[in-house]
Order: sequence, then C-alpha cells, then structure tokens
Amino acid sequence: MKKQDMEYASGNEMAAIAIKQIGYDLMGYYPITPSTQIAENLDMMRADGDTDLVMIAAEGEHSAAGICYGASVAGGRVINATSANGLLYALEQLPVQSGTRYPMVMNVVCRTVSGPLSIKGDHSDIMYLLNTGWPILFASTVQQVYDFNIIALKLAEQVHLPVVVAYDGFFTSHQKGRCFRFAKDEDVKAFVGKKQEPYPFLDLEHPITVGSYMNEPDLMNNRYQMHLAMEQADRVLPKLFTDFGELSGRHYGKVESIGCEDAQKILVLLGSSYDTAMEAVEELRRSHEEEGDKVGTATLHVLRPFPGNELVERIGNAEHILVADRQDSYGAGGGNLSLEVRAALQRYGSKADVKSLIYGLGGKDFFKEDAKTMLSIAGDASWPDFAYYGVTPGVKAEEEGPLFAPVTRERTGIGATKVEKDEAKHLKVTGGNLNAVTAMPGRIAPGHGACPGCGIPVNLNLLLKGIEDPVVFLFQTGCGMIVTTAYPKTSFKVPYLHNLFQNGADTLSGVAEICYRKQQKGELPPGDIVFVMVSGDGGMDIGMGSALGTALRGHRLLIFEYDNGGYMNTGYQLSYSTPLGARSSTSHVGKKQYGKTFFNKDMPKIMAATGIPYVATVAESNPTDFIKKAAKAAHYAKTEGTAYIKAISACPLNWNDKPATERKVIEAAVNCCYFPLYEVEQGVTRLSYDPEKTGKKIPVSDWLSMMGRTKHLQKEEYRNVVDRMQKEIDARYRAIKKSAEEV
Amino acid sequence: MEHIKDNRWGLQKKLTSGKEYYEIRLESIGGLGANLCGKMLGELGIKYLDLNSSSFSSYGSEKTGTPVKGFIRYCDKAKEIRVHSPVVEPDLLVVFHQALLKDGIVWKGCGNETAVIVALEPGQALPEGLPGQLYGLKAQQIAMETHSRINVVMMGAVLKLMGLKSVEKGEQICRDTLGKKYPEALENNLQGLRRGYEEVGPLEQNVNSVKAAGEESKGQAREGIWGYETAPMGGINPRPGSTVVSDLSPSRQGYIPLFIQERCINCGLCLSTCPDMVFQFAKGEYKGREMMVNQGLDYYHCKGCLRCVDVCPVNALVRGIESEHPNKQYFLPNQELLRMPAYYEKAGPDGYITSESYLTEKRMEGGEV
Repeated sequence: MKKQDMEYASGNEMAAIAIKQIGYDLMGYYPITPSTQIAENLDMMRADGDTDLVMIAAEGEHSAAGICYGASVAGGRVINATSANGLLYALEQLPVQSGTRYPMVMNVVCRTVSGPLSIKGDHSDIMYLLNTGWPILFASTVQQVYDFNIIALKLAEQVHLPVVVAYDGFFTSHQKGRCFRFAKDEDVKAFVGKKQEPYPFLDLEHPITVGSYMNEPDLMNNRYQMHLAMEQADRVLPKLFTDFGELSGRHYGKVESIGCEDAQKILVLLGSSYDTAMEAVEELRRSHEEEGDKVGTATLHVLRPFPGNELVERIGNAEHILVADRQDSYGAGGGNLSLEVRAALQRYGSKADVKSLIYGLGGKDFFKEDAKTMLSIAGDASWPDFAYYGVTPGVKAEEEGPLFAPVTRERTGIGATKVEKDEAKHLKVTGGNLNAVTAMPGRIAPGHGACPGCGIPVNLNLLLKGIEDPVVFLFQTGCGMIVTTAYPKTSFKVPYLHNLFQNGADTLSGVAEICYRKQQKGELPPGDIVFVMVSGDGGMDIGMGSALGTALRGHRLLIFEYDNGGYMNTGYQLSYSTPLGARSSTSHVGKKQYGKTFFNKDMPKIMAATGIPYVATVAESNPTDFIKKAAKAAHYAKTEGTAYIKAISACPLNWNDKPATERKVIEAAVNCCYFPLYEVEQGVTRLSYDPEKTGKKIPVSDWLSMMGRTKHLQKEEYRNVVDRMQKEIDARYRAIKKSAEEV
Repeated sequence: MEHIKDNRWGLQKKLTSGKEYYEIRLESIGGLGANLCGKMLGELGIKYLDLNSSSFSSYGSEKTGTPVKGFIRYCDKAKEIRVHSPVVEPDLLVVFHQALLKDGIVWKGCGNETAVIVALEPGQALPEGLPGQLYGLKAQQIAMETHSRINVVMMGAVLKLMGLKSVEKGEQICRDTLGKKYPEALENNLQGLRRGYEEVGPLEQNVNSVKAAGEESKGQAREGIWGYETAPMGGINPRPGSTVVSDLSPSRQGYIPLFIQERCINCGLCLSTCPDMVFQFAKGEYKGREMMVNQGLDYYHCKGCLRCVDVCPVNALVRGIESEHPNKQYFLPNQELLRMPAYYEKAGPDGYITSESYLTEKRMEGGEV
C-alpha cells in the first residue's frame, strides 16, 4: 500500500486532486453547475504553479467536447467535466470519440436535465449516455470520486474507449467529508502508467486518416469492435479494482451490497442514496434481528458495461426487489436502472418480484426514513409495480384575483419618448426625460431576487422606459432569469419565455414569426409588439451562433445584452467579455497567472458586421441616452429587422465593489473608453458621447482600481497587462471614432 | 474526546448518550461567511477532535443577502458518515442574524434538547417562546471591535457550546484555513474567535416551551398548493408579477435610504438607479408645474443597496440606520397593485449555485475591495 494523506474535501475537490496528480495534458471545459468547481479548483492550482495542465474555457459544451476530442486524437491525456444540459449539448460528440476509439475521461456531475430549469442533482443526464459507447463508472462517495478518476483513465487507455466517472451533483460533489489521497503524485502516475498510442496522429512520417466516411458493411464491423471493447472493459475491470485495492487499501467491485446474502427484500439504487440506504439497512437489521425481517441494499459502480451477472448473483435470490431511480425513462414503466435490473434478473433466471420507484428528482432530499419506507414498499402488494415516490397532489385553492392590471398598449404609450423621421428620413428621438418616464408602468414587478445593487434590473428598467409598445420577452439563462422566475412566483407582468442560453435568439425568432403570421391572418389583433431577447452572464458566448443566425436572417426583434463580464449566475467564471487581467473563479490570480489572459469580446462590432439596421451601446450613467436608444432600437425591431443593444451591467458581488456606488463604476468604464457609447444605424456609426471632448477621459487603470476583481492590476508587476489593455481600448476607440468621422 | 468537556448541550454528552451524530445547523444570510464557518467546523472534527465529520451548505447560497443554511455532522471516528440529507433536528442551532428568527422555518425542528446561539442585535427584542436553550452574544459588535468577521465570532461561540475546553483547537483550524490566504487578517480573526468563545452566554428564556412561537412563513405553506393535480402543466406560471409579495427586508444589512421630501426635486435619478422598483412616482405638482412627483418608497422591496443615496443630487435621500426607524416615514407600498397582497413573504435574493473556490473572505457584505 502506498502512503496516503487525509483530506477534508468535497467530490469536486477530490476529482481535481486526482486530475492534478495524474498529470493530464489538457482540460477543455465549459462551466456548468454543479461540475464547475473541478475546473475552478484546477485553475487555482494552475495559478499557484501546482499544475501545468492546459485549460481551455470553450464557448460551450459542444466546443469543449471538440477541444477534448482533438486533443486526445493528438495524443494528449485529456479531461472534461460537465453536467445536465451541458452534457446533452455535448452528446453528439461523444459517439464520435468512442467510435474512433480515443480514450479520455469525463466527470459527469449528475444534475437534472432542464426544463423547467433546475440545478439540483438527479440521474436524468447520465442515463442519456448509456448508448454512447463510453464505459461509465458511478461513484457513490467522495472517496470513490477520487479513486474512480484514477481507475477510469487506466481503463480508458487499456480498452481505447473514453470513460465517464459519474457522481451525484451536490450530494457528492459539494458535501465535504473525510477522505484520502496518495501522498505522492508519482504513485498515481505509476499506477496509471504511460499512455500508449497505437496510431500516433502527429507522427508525420506515418500519417493516418481518422474519421473515415464509412458505409455498410464496414460500419457494422466498426460497431462490433466497439462492442468487443466494451466486453474487454468488463473483463479488465476486476483486475483494475484489485490492483487499485492493493495500492490504496480500498477494494471495489462492479457491484456493492450489504445484507443481500440472506435478504428477503432488497433496495437497489445509485449514488449517494446507497450510502443512506446502507445506514437504513443496518438499522433495520439490528432492530429486526429476532423477527428475521431480512433486508439488504445494493448499488452499481459500473453502469456500462452493465454488470448484470454480478448483480444478479448478489440480489437474485431475494423475494422482493425494489429498484429506485432518480430519473424516469418516460413511458417505459421505470427508470433506466430499473429496466436494466429487470432485464438482468430475467436473463439470469431470477424469480424475484420487482418494483420500480422514481424518487428524488431535482435533488429532492433522500432521508434514511425514505430508504426504510422503500424497503417496506418492496414487499407491499398494495403498491403498484411502478410508482412515483414523494409527489404531492397539491391543494385546490381559490385563486385570488390578479395583483396587477394588464400592461396594455394604452397604459405604456405615455408619450415620454418619441421616434419620428425628419426631413432627411432620419430617425429622430426626442424625450427620454427621467421625470417623465417614471410614468411608465412596470413590465417587471418588484420583489425579484437580484443581489442588492445589481445592475441587471436597473438596465432592464431603463430599456423598458424607452419602449412604449407592448413587450414580449425571452430571457436566456442567467442571473436575470434566475432572480425573476423562481417558482412559484414570477416578476413578469408581460409574456415571458426562458430558453437555455445557446438558443435564445432563435427561439424568439420563432415566437415573433408566429405572431406576425397570426396578425396577418387576423387571428391576433394588429399593432406593434416589441420582441426582446435578454441575454447576459456570458450568454453571447454560447449563444452567439444563435444571435448571429437571427441577425443574419433579420427577424424583427431586439437583442438586449446586459454585459456583466462573467458567468455570474454560476459564481463568476470568466466569459469572453470579462476584462483582460480580471480575476474570476476560472482565471485566478497567483504567481503563475495574472487573471484572464485574453481581451474582452467586442460584441457590438460582431453584431454590426451582420448588417442589421441598428446596433447601440448604452450605460446607466447616461440614462437619457439609454432610453432614447431603447426607443430607436424598438422602432427598428418593429419595422425593419434585428436590433442589438448592449449595456454594461454592474455586478457588485463579483466585481467585488460597493453596491451603492455602481453607477460611478459604470461611468468610469465609459469615461476610460472601455465601454464607449455609440450606435451603428443603417451602417452609419455615430459616437454618442466622447469623454475626450468633455475632458472626462481617464486611464483604464482608474476604472480597474475601483473593482476588487481587477485591483491586483495596480501592482507594478502587472503593468504590462494594463498597458496592453490601454492600447487595445485606445485602438478600438480610435476605430469607432474614425468610422464616426467618415460620415 | 480529551479536548471536550461533558456539558449538557455539548458534543460528548450527546454522542455518548446513544446519538449517532451530533448535528449543527447554521442559519445565516449570504455575505456573513457561514459557509466558511461550516467548513472550518467540519474540518476541525477530523483534524483536531479525533472525530469523523462532514459539512455542506444549502445550495444556491452566498449571494449577498440570500438565506444560507449550513449543516455539520460529527460522529465517532470509526463510523462512516453516510447520511447526506440536511440536518432536520439539530443539537445546536446557530443563528447568524437575529432578524432571521422572525421566520419559523429558521428554528424548525428545534426542541427542548436543542441549544440555540443567536447573534444579538442591540435594541431588538427576541421573539417570544423560542424553543430550546437560548444563548447569545453581540457578534456583529465583537466583529466590528476586533476587525474580524462575524463567522469567526460565531464559530468561537459554537466551540464553547460544543463543550471545547479551550478555544485553542479553533485557533488552529483558523490558522490552517485563513492563515495562508489572509495572513494580514488572521490575528484579528483569532481575536474575534476568542471573544466569541468567551462572551457567549445563556439568555433569559423559557427552556420548556417547544410550542412554535411566531408562524412559519406563509409563503412556504403556500408553495404546497401547487402539486401535480393543481399546478398548471409545464411549470407555466399564470400569476403575473407575483414576486411583489416578497418582502426583501431581510437582505438589508442595517441601512435604509431615508426620504426628505422637501428637498426632492423629482429628477427621477433615484428611480433610474434603483434595481428594486422602490420609488413611487405619481402625477402631481412640483413648484407649480404638473409633473411626476416622488410620493414615497416601498420598503418591502428595498434591499438597502443605497444606490439612490449615492445618485441623489440634493440629498433628499440619505443613509439611515434601520433600527433607528421602526416606523418608516414615506413607506408607500407599490402603487400599481390593484389590491394589497394577502400576505408578504420574507425572502432573500434568490441564489443559484456559486463556486466555493471564489468565496473568499474578501467578498464581504457590500463588497469590500
């Protein structure tokens, strides 16, 4: 046995430690709760110089999977981590990787698949992987997360298949407890061994082609090879478990169980619930010793290849088996685990009576008492073969009357901001007076849950003050959506739809087109409606393709981006619009890293390149300009095509500054020209405000010094970072000014 | 358990009297550092108390002002901790913010055998009939005096109630956790920890009352109304603007904006900077002109960010200490409401999950730079 140290850590922390110790070459990832901490912890180690892992923050999970695939084809040792819809977004790539037989490891931190959006843990994501040709190890404890990560890579490289290590989101990923790690990285490295490449891709002397175009009968043979590899995985796993047991003193099998030898009733479940079930079984066996009420529980540490034989050996002799699933294969009469357990029992000749329960969806807690209840259900003939456990019918209650009057066209047409064409047919906006616009009824109700001082509602309110027609919203995932629509409440007083943030603009295109069609057919009353897609928290990274597609097609709608400079809804990971040098949870500051290493994305310029009629930037520090641009954008969105407005949006929590003075911070961002205010209307650029002319121009370091996330850049050692940033800002600003002067 | 005394509420007594776990629940709001406090308490168990331990926080927390729960379990070191559910019936309940006691959900599951530590706020009375044995300390004041954080002060108090013979083990875990990252803040935090340990004391309260005083948040009960038979399909929500019944006052951290109407020039800047739609403008007359006039503030939704105070050009909005203004002048509920809601539900900002690696001590309330 090798020397080990005790840690007090969570599953995500232990995964990161294993990854660091193995010495992977590359991690391609995209943050998604609850798996994000793995990348965060590794980034912290990187900043401190503890690992030289190449970390690539992709613009979405699909891209992350692509980065990983490329890196593993090129012979790198590659790791990824994801969850839920992120996993589903990457799904298409997974059979590509297994079908071409490139090993890597991916941690799937299990979370419920949206929608409605929930971040909590269940197994609805991992079950989508059953047919991808990836072996799947399932860790039920924090310790196993570490151990299985080490075993997984060795398995992957032995059978030339990519391997998943799955574990419960939050229950295992976030709960901290006692666990052990090898004291020396070398011991881990020695166990995993050196990577062998049967066909080195980058060997230019012996070039190979990967990813042939293949028809029958060859594809069938290729698939059969994959099947054989999975069978090989089934054969090598026992040896890997044994070898690892000798190294660590922790012995695993494909199946783990207690009490099953003589049990009449057995509860089968996956993940952290098994832990709790063991506790229940021990208690029941203690209390029922004399009565002989024999109970047991079993779990699987391997989902693929499915260890049916081993499982039935353990549980096949019980009279009653209850398989509890934290997901449902809707319409199949059970969750996937229960379907497979039933199939295995039949295949290996067990006569046990089996029931399936669905429990714990969306992270609903699983108490010891629940395990006991389930064991009693196992033998209870009054329960059906398949049921949901823990659902509530609700109470029929009289709905109280509405709290607000409908926000009608008549009410919002307050006449405070007017858009007219002048003699030269140019749009002219008047009004936007801050006193007058206070008459605008709210489309968003108060009582939302944004942090004190949050810029998102401030920006939304300013935008809406300038739009006097009815509004229909689509919000992409992000803080703006989370804080307004926590069930069973909603802040919206106008139609609102959420979609995940790789697809907001496209979804709203669909909404708008049906509205226009219905209006044309007379199925809806005529009258202008402004369709507004709201995105922020990095939604223009993963959602950029959708926004560009929408803009290129020219749907009549308004894309509004609140740029808070990071994925704030998941705890501030870097987005492509995070400033250079800023600290985030995936761009830590340490002796080897100064924060984010690349410039903020110039999204207005990208949008302007699509040729849409209107692009503008706005800031709350110039509120009247903001409101007038909102009115103009709404006009274009109603009449001509796609409009895009971007606001810089304060995040006191993650910018790490004072909520009260956020408007000053925004003003400084404008005055240092990090966030210049301008518009591109019908291809014509106009500067809305020039701090150089008003004598308010400040160096970017003045702005950076106002926020905790960039305060470190004041140090002399980071001067070149600030200089680079100043240069880039000046260049971008000069370019805008130049286009404006050309008019 | 050589470091632990045998005291009625303490860990040793509980663990040797047949209980499998000694369980602590922390009740806090984001920004006070309860998450870190829970982590340190958990780590203390395996590192210095010769116990096994585990800890976790309620997820979706640590946004400034969000209610946060922390759970810590201790047991014999030979035992594996296999329970991953929240602590329902705590042996020790730790309330980081006295105002939280107003909501019954905070002390749910507490009984006669529960010890409760409350961070007292000067001048504020405790609700009557709280269950369990009450202890208290002026944690915020101690934190301010020692330039430490309330989480270490509360941790000191917890160690005392757990029955630790001295605060020394707590100092060690603070050194381990904070010493490396924030060496400059360590001494102050140790000072806060010691004073928390020393200054926590019993409060005058009836030990025997287990009857729930106050009431659980009505909103919590209300959430149960929508089940699979009654909820609209697909998670659709047909109640426009229903967040208006959220009372966000718990997310304030001691300060509110005060309105001095005679100074107000009705410029509308306050409304333009307020994230929480607090300002109530209506048609009126100012200096003989018909215009929109600021009528007052809906303090139900004010989170105390004080953006309005910062932008007001004429000091018509000034910072006030909330406890000095129990009856808020110009308190005007949202004027767009067709009727007053049947209830207001105490709420904090909604959390999502955050990332622990970035939850540093520097992310204090108000965002200290």
